[in-house]
Amino acid sequence: MAFLSIRNVFKSYFLHGKRIDVLRGVSLDLERGELVSLIGPSGAGKSTFLHVLGTLDAPAAGEVLFEGRSVFSMNDAQIAEFRNRTIGFVFQSHYLLPEFTALENVAMPALIQRGDRAKTYAQARELLERVGLGARVDHRPGELSGGEAQRVALARALVLKPAILLADEPTGNLDPATGEGIHQLLRDVNRDLGITAVVVTHNETLAQSMPRRLRLAGGQVTDA
Amino acid sequence: MQSAERQTVYRWGLVWSGALVAFGGAVLLGVAVSRSNAWAEVSQALGLSVMGWASLLQSLNALALVPAELSLKQPLPLSGTQYLVAGALAWLGGWGLLAAGLRRAPAPTEGPSPAAGAPLYPRLAGYRDFYWSTLGAYGGGILLAEWALIQLQSLLSSGAQSVAQGEASGGSGLQLAPPWAFAVSLLVACSISFVAGAIGAARARRLSLPEATIGVFYLGLPIPIMLTLLDRVPALQLALGYRLREVTYVAGLLGRPELGYWLVFGLLVLMLVLGINSGFVAAGSGRLDLRLGFELFVARRHVAVFRPSLLLGTLAVLMLGIIPPLIIYGIVRAVEAAVERTRIRELGLVDPLAAAASLNRLKLREQSPTMMMTALSVGGVGVGVMALIIVLSVMSGFELDLQKKILGTHAHAVVSKYAGDLPEYPKLMEQIAKVPGVVGQSPFITNQVMIVSEGNVDGVVIKGIDPDTVGSVTDLPGYMLPGGSLEYLKKPELLTPRRGPGGAGSPMLDDRPAGAAPPAGGQPEEAEEEIDPIIGSMTKPAQEQVLPGIIVGRELAAAMRVVVGDKVNIVSPLGTELGPSGPMPKSRAFRVVGVFYSGMYEYDAKFVYIFLDEAQKFFEVKGANGIDLKVADIDDARRIAADVTRQLGGYPYRSRDWSETNRNLFSALRLEKLVMGIILSIIIIVAAGLIVATVIMLVLEKRKEISVLKALGVPDGGIVKIFLAEGLQIGVAGGLLGLLSGLAWCLFIEKVGIKLDPEVYYIPALPVRIEPVQTLLAVVIAVLVTYLASIYPALKASSVEPVEGLKAE
Repeated sequence: MAFLSIRNVFKSYFLHGKRIDVLRGVSLDLERGELVSLIGPSGAGKSTFLHVLGTLDAPAAGEVLFEGRSVFSMNDAQIAEFRNRTIGFVFQSHYLLPEFTALENVAMPALIQRGDRAKTYAQARELLERVGLGARVDHRPGELSGGEAQRVALARALVLKPAILLADEPTGNLDPATGEGIHQLLRDVNRDLGITAVVVTHNETLAQSMPRRLRLAGGQVTDA
Repeated sequence: MQSAERQTVYRWGLVWSGALVAFGGAVLLGVAVSRSNAWAEVSQALGLSVMGWASLLQSLNALALVPAELSLKQPLPLSGTQYLVAGALAWLGGWGLLAAGLRRAPAPTEGPSPAAGAPLYPRLAGYRDFYWSTLGAYGGGILLAEWALIQLQSLLSSGAQSVAQGEASGGSGLQLAPPWAFAVSLLVACSISFVAGAIGAARARRLSLPEATIGVFYLGLPIPIMLTLLDRVPALQLALGYRLREVTYVAGLLGRPELGYWLVFGLLVLMLVLGINSGFVAAGSGRLDLRLGFELFVARRHVAVFRPSLLLGTLAVLMLGIIPPLIIYGIVRAVEAAVERTRIRELGLVDPLAAAASLNRLKLREQSPTMMMTALSVGGVGVGVMALIIVLSVMSGFELDLQKKILGTHAHAVVSKYAGDLPEYPKLMEQIAKVPGVVGQSPFITNQVMIVSEGNVDGVVIKGIDPDTVGSVTDLPGYMLPGGSLEYLKKPELLTPRRGPGGAGSPMLDDRPAGAAPPAGGQPEEAEEEIDPIIGSMTKPAQEQVLPGIIVGRELAAAMRVVVGDKVNIVSPLGTELGPSGPMPKSRAFRVVGVFYSGMYEYDAKFVYIFLDEAQKFFEVKGANGIDLKVADIDDARRIAADVTRQLGGYPYRSRDWSETNRNLFSALRLEKLVMGIILSIIIIVAAGLIVATVIMLVLEKRKEISVLKALGVPDGGIVKIFLAEGLQIGVAGGLLGLLSGLAWCLFIEKVGIKLDPEVYYIPALPVRIEPVQTLLAVVIAVLVTYLASIYPALKASSVEPVEGLKAE
């Protein structure tokens, strides 16, 4: 039984009443601890695929099985909890909550679980130090640079030690040097924490550096 | 290539004809009701209601019923039942026809999409349109709540009621005072309604508004409609009046029972809606989660309501009006800006970078539009609550004032017989004294008579009293103005007769005899003799004769132009002597031995008091007409009165308390207060509209954040809770500010006082009485309304799809 498997997933968009089939029966198996890159032309549906994988978007048909269990057959609260505990997201822009400090942002997933505050903050502080932002703990997102904010977002995705990390062009908005730092961090957490990571990217060299490479084109995902 | 989706197709012919038939059925039903002439009365009764039903009913009436009735040249030989049956059938059939007009489109003939056959997305498969169980919970819940309210109200207060009715009852039932029984049963009914709503919503995992509408309309509405019709339809009154008398009694306290029924119904529906929402929030996503810590944490960051500057500023606006705080704020900001500018320029001369950072910090402090909206919403709720508290407190003050004055001159309760006098009153008084709660009693005789002074006539209520005990029942001894005394009633000879015309305050009286008999100066006895023919034969000069005493009110004394020592005649039309043209009016002379001033115009102008023994002689009454009672707790007067009746053995004795004897006055006051409360609540509703706008703006502003929170694992219910908490924060802040400023204003009115023209209002200053329950109620209502107002935006927020906000960039 695969760790995470996608079975016959369909997803369409409607643009001016016309249906655009983005995913046409995608099936895929991912193993625990895999580090996977996903490439494909713009508008091929890479983000949609990632959203369906992360339960942010419901497929029109098909199943996503996590350890053999269909995630979409759970109710809202269970899906939310699954998302909270099992999946970490990193997006193209950081999507930090502007009213909260870096520390609070990192701690947010644990706060949603209503865990012990002191312990949560200690963990978050540790993570921030690990991504090299120990000095920026009390800054708001508006006072951080793009690279710093993205590192905070990465720390936020990792705070509950999720089984799956989904990254949607995490370095798309960053300069190559900063981007490379983020990539290195991704590789580190994959190696150190054994997190299964799917990274959508346009960066060919980054894609090539991943152990497994997927290509999304024509509504189908294939190993590149 | 089309999807396999099957859309709804409307066959408009069927839909319209169905609607027409159903409408015809409604008209027939209306005619059936109007046969018993109730229709016009219903619309009339609702004519002044605030609910807006009236216009609907009246236009329906005008459009359909009037032509329908006119077209019937003579009343058909059918009674109302046939109309009722035909109307109901047409009504149902019409709906059936209408439903038949809504059909699913046929399946598309084109081939299936590539996804055909793939497993259906499980949550779609579990989706259902209509939940019968939820309908049952909503409709049944509100019906159960109404039933429970009626039953509990009857049960809890039946003891007191049956005793008051003079029935044999050994104290069964709990005998709560009706208002308390009503409060308890209302609380129970509200919780039933709330729980039913919560259960229904939890079952359906959504709000299920169609179910709620149908439940409320078809199961909830009939009872208030029936209660409204109760007074007007004799058959209903006969069948149900007896069972519902407790309910109608409580509603009758308001003066307009219908208003009471519909307000209570509205409250039950409100509780149902609250329950539905709470049920959805708590369990809508499949799990009951009542914890709020995280949601409050987020909500507090979104709308920072509890900031000292915002709270103080709003409080200042509420207390002082808008202009003065605005001026102060403007001055402070101007000074601050000037100081900051100089500081930054000086800093720039030293270190340009530090100056830039300082400038940046200054910019960051500027407020966002939502902050402004938040402040406005808080202020709006605050103004509403403040106005409610002040107006209701002033009206309570008036009520208390009135009550004090009425109870000062009137007894708390009156014991009398259904017919006849009470010759046995001393024995009765001994028995009554044993009833706990009775602290004073005094026998009396009362009647309507004419009072005649020199040239003036007025109709008054005369009351024969016992000067020794009257002080234990009313405040009359305390109202006596200096110069007269209650003692003189018993012993009129103690009052030294006024000698000479130089008496104070009646120059007119002295002028007239002087004009009538110019040469007779210094002969006042003669002047008195001249008026004697009014009374009849008089052998002794009136001034020297010892006449029985009478006490009149200040206003009456002024109108009759009499002072202490003057003589007045009391004329009763109920004479026993027969004259040539029937019974002769009886007349008797009294001497004014005292003037009282209660402060209540009606009493000061309409009441006169004489000695009980004189009244017995004058009206030929044995003993007394009744016994005035004073009770320890005026709010408990009804029950104590019932106890007294029981102590006396019921019929033929009866006792009525002050709220019964002055029922119209107090119910008018209560109705006025209620209507005032409703009108002022509209301010809060306007403020609630502001809150809706504010929270919607917040939702729009935070769409991205909502998506992120969802991606991080906050369930839909959590998002709802966050935005409900934001609305509630505004409501609570506004409510508390309103409470503070309202209490402060009340205190100001009480301590400093707002002068009133005593000629017009008969009281020197605006009275204020802060009633804790009513004040708290105003705040609770405001918070409830803001909670309701934030439901819609909160639901909107929860329906933001996670991908939606994440894409928008």
